[in-house]
Amino acid sequence: MNVVRHLPSGAPSCHRMAVAVVVCVSLLLGLPARADDAACTPAQSESVGGIMDVAELIAYIDLQLGASWEKAQHQPAPLADDAEYLRRAHLDLIGKIPSVSELQAFLQDARPDKRARLIDELLNRGAHAQHFANTWRNSMLAGTPENVASEQLLRQFHTWLRLRFTVNMPYDRLVGELLTAPLDEGAMQVNRMAAQRFVPTPAAFFQANELKREQIAASTSRFFLGVQVQCAQCHDHPFSHWKQSEFWSLAAFFDTTAPGVAEAQEASTGSANAIRIPDSDVTVEPTYLDGTRPDWDSGASKRELLAGWMTRTDNPYFAKAGVNRLWDHFLGRGFVHPVDDLDPANPPSHPELLNEMARQFSLHRFDLNYLVRAIMQSRAYQLTSRSSGSTDDERPHFARMPVRRMTADQLFNSIVQATGFREPRRIARPGAPVPEMATAADAFRNRFADSAVPLTEAETSILQALTLMNGKLTSDATDLESSETLVAVTEAPFLDTPQRVEMLFMATLSRSPTAEELEELVAYVVAAEPDGAAKTALADVFWALLNSAEFALNH
Amino acid sequence: MKPFICRSRCDQLTRRDMLRLSCAGLVGGATFPWLQAMADQASQPAARRACILLWMNGGPSQMDTFDLKPGHKNGGEFKEIATTVPGIRISEHLPKIAGMAEDLAILRSMSTKEGDHSRAAYLLRNGYLPQPPVSYPTLGALVSKELGNPAAALPNFVSIAPYRNLNPAAYAPGFLGSQYAPLIVGEARPGGGSDQDDRNGDYGLTVDDLSAPSGVSREAVTARLGILNSLNDRFVGSHPDAPALGYRSAYAQAVRLMRSDAAKAFDLDEEEDRVRDSYGRNRFGQGCLLARRLVERGVPFVEVTHGGDGGIGWDTHTNNFDGVKQLSETLDAGWATLMSELKARGLLASTVVVWMGEFGRTPQINTNAGRDHFPNAWSTVLAGGGMRTGQVIGRTSDDGMKVEDRPISVPDLLATVFSALGVDPMKQNISNVGRPIRLVDPAAAPIEELVG
Repeated sequence: MNVVRHLPSGAPSCHRMAVAVVVCVSLLLGLPARADDAACTPAQSESVGGIMDVAELIAYIDLQLGASWEKAQHQPAPLADDAEYLRRAHLDLIGKIPSVSELQAFLQDARPDKRARLIDELLNRGAHAQHFANTWRNSMLAGTPENVASEQLLRQFHTWLRLRFTVNMPYDRLVGELLTAPLDEGAMQVNRMAAQRFVPTPAAFFQANELKREQIAASTSRFFLGVQVQCAQCHDHPFSHWKQSEFWSLAAFFDTTAPGVAEAQEASTGSANAIRIPDSDVTVEPTYLDGTRPDWDSGASKRELLAGWMTRTDNPYFAKAGVNRLWDHFLGRGFVHPVDDLDPANPPSHPELLNEMARQFSLHRFDLNYLVRAIMQSRAYQLTSRSSGSTDDERPHFARMPVRRMTADQLFNSIVQATGFREPRRIARPGAPVPEMATAADAFRNRFADSAVPLTEAETSILQALTLMNGKLTSDATDLESSETLVAVTEAPFLDTPQRVEMLFMATLSRSPTAEELEELVAYVVAAEPDGAAKTALADVFWALLNSAEFALNH
Repeated sequence: MKPFICRSRCDQLTRRDMLRLSCAGLVGGATFPWLQAMADQASQPAARRACILLWMNGGPSQMDTFDLKPGHKNGGEFKEIATTVPGIRISEHLPKIAGMAEDLAILRSMSTKEGDHSRAAYLLRNGYLPQPPVSYPTLGALVSKELGNPAAALPNFVSIAPYRNLNPAAYAPGFLGSQYAPLIVGEARPGGGSDQDDRNGDYGLTVDDLSAPSGVSREAVTARLGILNSLNDRFVGSHPDAPALGYRSAYAQAVRLMRSDAAKAFDLDEEEDRVRDSYGRNRFGQGCLLARRLVERGVPFVEVTHGGDGGIGWDTHTNNFDGVKQLSETLDAGWATLMSELKARGLLASTVVVWMGEFGRTPQINTNAGRDHFPNAWSTVLAGGGMRTGQVIGRTSDDGMKVEDRPISVPDLLATVFSALGVDPMKQNISNVGRPIRLVDPAAAPIEELVG
């Protein structure tokens, strides 16, 4: 097995520049600069508590999954080659396909630890924080009652998350800060003065939940704990042990507020914070999901108390929900599926593995990048997505990489990467008509709006296909005069026809064509030569590549 | 409880398998002859039922359309007129509709609880209150899944002139997935200008990106698609996962639409000027004409949004009477012409027409001569579909403040629509959270006076 991985974990991330960025952003956020960050120092392999470093966790994951494949008597798929791995790693970590030069450099790199180096390099790019902010924002807000008034808040939420992913903020702290975010007038942008100051804030999470305690509580427990108590809002939960009173006891940690009206900061006592279950005579006090009650003497606010309980290392749900979500992000499916339903009635596919990864996550101070490094170097992540035949359907999970849809952002950014598209600058001149407000990116996102449908399910619409085939973005990208990539490929004097076709493949599919493909397409271009239409034929090839399933999907 | 959960998760697998089969079937019917047979059967015009939803964005005033209160101070300035059904009286600004009251069932006792645009639109259009993380599908997606022909050249769900900003999820296929997403034409956006504005031709009711860019010849399109198909067949062959199959099937449908004559349905210039005039030269009127053309061609669900200028015109917090009068005139021409044309073609009996918004408006008139949101007691109208029309269901009090007889819930209303379409409202789909969800809330009862 030539899986490449045994690099002292994390070492390359201690590049001087990366540290500088971390320090800068740390100052911005008022965080202590973490020179001793777990991301930069390999975790100590002390036997105490069995803390595992990245390499040990990788070995553990491989061992567990290997055993499950063996038990199911199935061979896992073969390993992905470098090109397949590179494309997948780029899409999953920075949200776009690699450029041709990145692809060539990676293929030529002979170092045995190049996949580990790649992960570290990508984790340190600004595009990584950008992509994770997109991904997490979208999944945190998925299914919430959307509100058009929150456009500005969405951007602020995105920036808030991006700053935190930039410094690899420990996950417990990120969630704690989110749950205790101020919801005052400034944060909620309720007046014009406030709207002019761009303050990063996660307030959109609360606003998307309509600032109602029951909605916020439901989203909070679902997203961060994988506990679906919301059905118990109206009646006792039919599928699990959650009771209506437990739901409202959790909801009691939040206040239903009007936008911009600050809630009471100091929690007094349990009974003073009791709320009545709507349409009933029952009152409940704020109570954690495990039935324990807060220590009101601490002087902390209700939300601080809840955040403290949720992110405790011995919380049975928090670390597992985080690990499951990250595993789902990289492997297309969580150990628990659906990803945010950790109900005992919905057991994980690999309980022991999930438990151990969760334990290591909390032992590593909820270091997200520690998990990312281990997952991306695991054998499961490095398997090909190519199916070997009909027996695949009976394969246990994670024995082959599933094909996933791209998010709207991934697809747009990949088209930009492949075509060299640049958003034209929009300049408003006095007296002139207001320039078209929607950017190409906005229009594209609008049509490819992300849904709650898992990325491993089918969800391409007719309109999306029409846009990709005939829309302006593709038309410009395949226009012989305006397309950067096409001009470069068709005009370069040192390329022959097979090389031009190969360049187009690398720009779009991040691989070279197979012999069969090359033969077919070169023949197509050559046939057009007598008419002087070879360039047009190359444009046709580029068009087909940009419209192909292989281009538009993550595999 | 446990066996139940097990069953639902098994069902989910079945659904995924089904999806694969149907995707594969779309591309090559020969692989699954029985699927092709099913598709052929579904396209038999005789069996074909359809639904047209006329969506009144913003919440139409029942007090000034279908449940007037003449003589009461809440009544306002509009007069009632008689209709072709003795005893049924409606607004003076809907004279053409009044002329076909025998084909209408006026439901005057809608009783809901949601007075927020976004949530109420979701409730009326998706049938459930938003309950994250479940993504309930919008009505059109549910109906098109039940009645649509997956092999048809035209999409099975077309949404005309929607204004989705209040709640995009109320127009989305939710957990059914994007193969049930609407084809949207003439989308209205905030600040989108006047309803009568036709600078771009056909009021924007055309399909975007339906043809290749001008510089690309027909032969080039064919050549490109040839290369694409060969690339896709290779990739899907070695990656037979749902997203790849779905991607290829969406392309197959899009290409079918590009190439077939079916897309001519969107060419309103094929109609005589006289016909186009009678629908009204505005986005809603022409949208009704387009709806007729689509239903004629077998599309099972078409919705036409009427939001007036700005998209949310029925939200008449100020100057209610000017606004409703203008909206009613547009509504009257478009709706009545649609109904009479459907009837003349023998399609009204198989087509359920639904007139509704997200809620009604307050009986009391506010200080700005407006009416505010009012979900307690309001009206919707059903027509066609072989229902026992020509009657009023339910009654509100003299001041319009409350329902006095036969309250109707949203699930009741939607269950009636499904029943009239020949679909069991208690049928289940598997949701995105892996649990079975009925088309309509199980508490629903179809209105038996209409469909019993």
